[in-house]
Amino acid sequence: MLKKSAANLTGLALALFFLFPTYWMITSAMKPKGTTITSDYDLIPFSVTFSNFVTAWTKPGFLSSLGNSLLVTLTAVVAAIIIGITAAVAMSRFAFRGRKSFVLLMLVAQMAPFEALLIPMFLMMRDLQLYEHLSSLILVYFAVTLPFCAWTLRGFVNGIPVELEEAAMVDGCGRWGAFQKVTLPLLGPGLVATSVFAFITAWNEFLFAKVLIRSQDRETLPVWLSGFQTAFGTDWGGAMAASVLFTVPALVFFLIVQRKMVAGVTAGAVKG
Amino acid sequence: MTAVKTTETAAPAGDIPPALPPDVTGGARKRRRRGGAFDRALPYLLLAPALIAILWLIGWPVVSVFVTSFRQLNLGELVRGEIVWTGFDNYVTVLKDERFWTVSLRTIVFTVGVVVASVGMGLGIALLMRVLTPWVRIALQIAMLCAWAMPILASTTVYQWMFDQNYGILNKTLVQLGFDSFAGYSWFSSGTSTLSVVGLLIVWQAIPFLAFSLYAGLVGIPRDLYEAAGIDGATGWQTFRAVTWPEIRSLLMMVTFLSTLWDFKVFAQIWVFREGGPSGESTTLPVLQYLEGIAKSHFGVAAAISVLMMLILGLITFQYLRKLLQTEEGKI
Amino acid sequence: MKGWRGLAAGAAALAVAVSGCGTSTNSGSTTETKEITVWLMDGSAPTTLTDALNKEFESANGIKVKYEVQKWTGIQEKLTTALASSTPPDVIELGNTQTASFADQGTLADLTADAGQFNGGEWLGGLKDSLTLNGKQYGVPFYAANRTVIYRTDLLQAAGVAKPPTSRAEWIDAINKLKAANASNPEFQALYLPGQSWYFLLSLIWDEGGDIAKLDNGKWSGTLDTPQAKAGFEAYKALYDASATKKVPADIDEAKPQQMEVFGTGNVGMMVGLPWELGGAVKAKPDLADKTSAFPIPSKKAGSAAPVFLGGSNLAIPAASKNAAAAKKYLALLSSKNYQDQLAAGGAVPGTSKDTSKLASNAIGKAMADSSPNGKVTPVTPKWAAVEAGQNPLKDALTAYLTGAKTLDQATKDASDAITKAMA
Repeated sequence: MLKKSAANLTGLALALFFLFPTYWMITSAMKPKGTTITSDYDLIPFSVTFSNFVTAWTKPGFLSSLGNSLLVTLTAVVAAIIIGITAAVAMSRFAFRGRKSFVLLMLVAQMAPFEALLIPMFLMMRDLQLYEHLSSLILVYFAVTLPFCAWTLRGFVNGIPVELEEAAMVDGCGRWGAFQKVTLPLLGPGLVATSVFAFITAWNEFLFAKVLIRSQDRETLPVWLSGFQTAFGTDWGGAMAASVLFTVPALVFFLIVQRKMVAGVTAGAVKG
Repeated sequence: MTAVKTTETAAPAGDIPPALPPDVTGGARKRRRRGGAFDRALPYLLLAPALIAILWLIGWPVVSVFVTSFRQLNLGELVRGEIVWTGFDNYVTVLKDERFWTVSLRTIVFTVGVVVASVGMGLGIALLMRVLTPWVRIALQIAMLCAWAMPILASTTVYQWMFDQNYGILNKTLVQLGFDSFAGYSWFSSGTSTLSVVGLLIVWQAIPFLAFSLYAGLVGIPRDLYEAAGIDGATGWQTFRAVTWPEIRSLLMMVTFLSTLWDFKVFAQIWVFREGGPSGESTTLPVLQYLEGIAKSHFGVAAAISVLMMLILGLITFQYLRKLLQTEEGKI
Repeated sequence: MKGWRGLAAGAAALAVAVSGCGTSTNSGSTTETKEITVWLMDGSAPTTLTDALNKEFESANGIKVKYEVQKWTGIQEKLTTALASSTPPDVIELGNTQTASFADQGTLADLTADAGQFNGGEWLGGLKDSLTLNGKQYGVPFYAANRTVIYRTDLLQAAGVAKPPTSRAEWIDAINKLKAANASNPEFQALYLPGQSWYFLLSLIWDEGGDIAKLDNGKWSGTLDTPQAKAGFEAYKALYDASATKKVPADIDEAKPQQMEVFGTGNVGMMVGLPWELGGAVKAKPDLADKTSAFPIPSKKAGSAAPVFLGGSNLAIPAASKNAAAAKKYLALLSSKNYQDQLAAGGAVPGTSKDTSKLASNAIGKAMADSSPNGKVTPVTPKWAAVEAGQNPLKDALTAYLTGAKTLDQATKDASDAITKAMA
């Protein structure tokens, strides 16, 4: 019993450790102007305001970089998922010459150290005249996430019994029909999970966004936020509010995965 | 139901977790039926877009970085479109520079430190989660989810604020606790101290993925194995050695490998904190590559650094893949 | 939209390559200029000037101006990648210390033959030197400015400092009085001096008779480890230590956070800055406008001003610009008397007009004009840019010395070696 409560105390202490930066980000963001930078000990906020969020929201560049981040990330992830599914189905459902080496290629490709490809990527985008255009970032993020999506989805497709598809085909569905009616719905949770991970990767990316984009109206959020000290001066409250706004989409996606995954699994169980 | 297991294992990832091979069903099931030409071509058609994209966007840059590393390519050559071959000059420049060796050693020490700390703590938390009261476990999981979901640049900004010299909550707390020397203490006055703060940030954000994956692995261990061990009168440590360890060893190896790959390449956090300073003391290989290539526009030299980085990472990857493909789970 | 077309062209090229047909695609097009992209730096020209200029240019030529203001932080990397691209901006502003290096690498258009259009006869000497390489001009002088000490008249008066200090000793004395008079405010900075204000360090080093580097037989070597340069570092530390009870971190420069923002909080008595920075502070706190003035950075020798870094910018056209003709028209318009006068009125020494009467009409302009005869620059060589790019050894030396991480001897020696290496 003593051992159990010791474990629980440790667990709670760890929870505090993980939660504190989030807590501090939110409370700092809600402190009234002029009370953020203070020598007073202010672990617990005394008064609350939302004016910092207004400040951050209306800072030049915030909205455009938010839009750019969403555009780049979503486009890249959708493309990676669509092409990833076709590759996953091919790898998982067909026997053909060269399958093994292709699977190995995927495995190796998803471990490729992209950061080490900065220079050639930069030169390539320059030659393609894509440099300074958001499409260059879309291509890079697509390339970063594609092997991962294909590989992970292959695992999920493998998990769906092939007999289900065969039964559907016996029932008169074509190959496409069987895929559409049987495989795709069962793949749902896997698709959601995979795309969220891909989303997070692209949403976070900093190095390529910094190098490939130079004009302010095309910056993505990470780059914009990295210059917060030029944007906010010493206004930590505003910077924290911007960080909160940057975190929200990622957090929402995480929560979606949690819910959808449970729902998807139960739905699969009923149908399966 | 396998779908349950795979979703659990692949649980949310901060960085892409090159998925564990979830081949629980025992590999691909192939269609045996023979079709027409279209059917035979179909798998290739399905693969074509992915293959082209990978060859174009990953394969070609890999070739190109090798080629570039043998060229003298500064801003001038680039703008004029000149091609100047210099043989191994870039490598000689890099390898003769003692700074490169310091930076490489620092990168390796940093990576090892961060990986050991995060995997160790991740495993510890995974083990802990099994014995926690459910509501404590859920609280811990939610807290970890918050750390995990925070975008890197947001968490880096928050850490900068917490560690701020004059107004940071950490220094203020330490002063409250009676450590007056921390008033106005700078956490970024030396490279070691700067990298420790960066390391803490990385470990803090890396643990959730590790703890969740390892926890999923632990939960998957059949109960009767533990019951059997309990009947045999094994102590906690013996049970861990005899039952837990063999079951999660390959999973642990995988997450350690992935952490190594990720932590070696860290750029954003280091750059945003102090741009590799003070006095270049927190510069790691990715930062050095950026400084040489983008800041000083010595693209050839930077490409040589990139190649050396890829060789180090390639070696690690090769070792891991070789081990993986030998095992049953790695069957493709 | 160009990028998308490029993407399509790239995909097409790839398809061609894959299918093995060997037609070469050529996406180069010569359409007439519809828009030019202009990059000016934060604080270089007042918005009223640029608004009027862009409007006049657009209506006179029927060409749109895509005007973007860039921040100084990280500009070297940004310019590098911009100039390396095949579609750079059409007009860029370059710091005078950066120009030689970019010209040397062939990234800037040669404007020697066009100098006449840009009022070539009245160019500011110091800036003209900085953009001249092998007898050719690779830019047009924009403006010059140097740092002065911007101060709060009301606070100095309240602290019993009757007239601006004219020697370093008097200056430190004034700082101490200011500090004493505002002891009740824990956030008060008598002098806002971040640890890495290296342009200001140059002033002190030059004032002590030292320099950054010297040229021997065609080879540059760092000279920060000379006794004179070390004295400059010591003077910096004396001011830094005196500046406030709660010191500014030693590892930040004047741009991160921007010192004008800090001055704009009202908790600062003085700062070493450029005229535009005061403008920024006034924007944050409008009532500062009538409470501020400036004096030249005092020398250690009573009654004279310390040498100052002659900062400034040039305007250039990237060699790869597709709209060079339109860009030249833009520069010609900017070089005209009307806009040069506006520059002077905004508190800068105009680059293409010798008429500075508008400048001396305000206090800061006057302080600037008083110290500009003592203006000095960093070594004029394409090699200098490598020192400033990325990790600047001067900043590192300051931080290491001020935090005590290194002794003065060690810090200056390391910085000197780093400069020698960077300029090799």
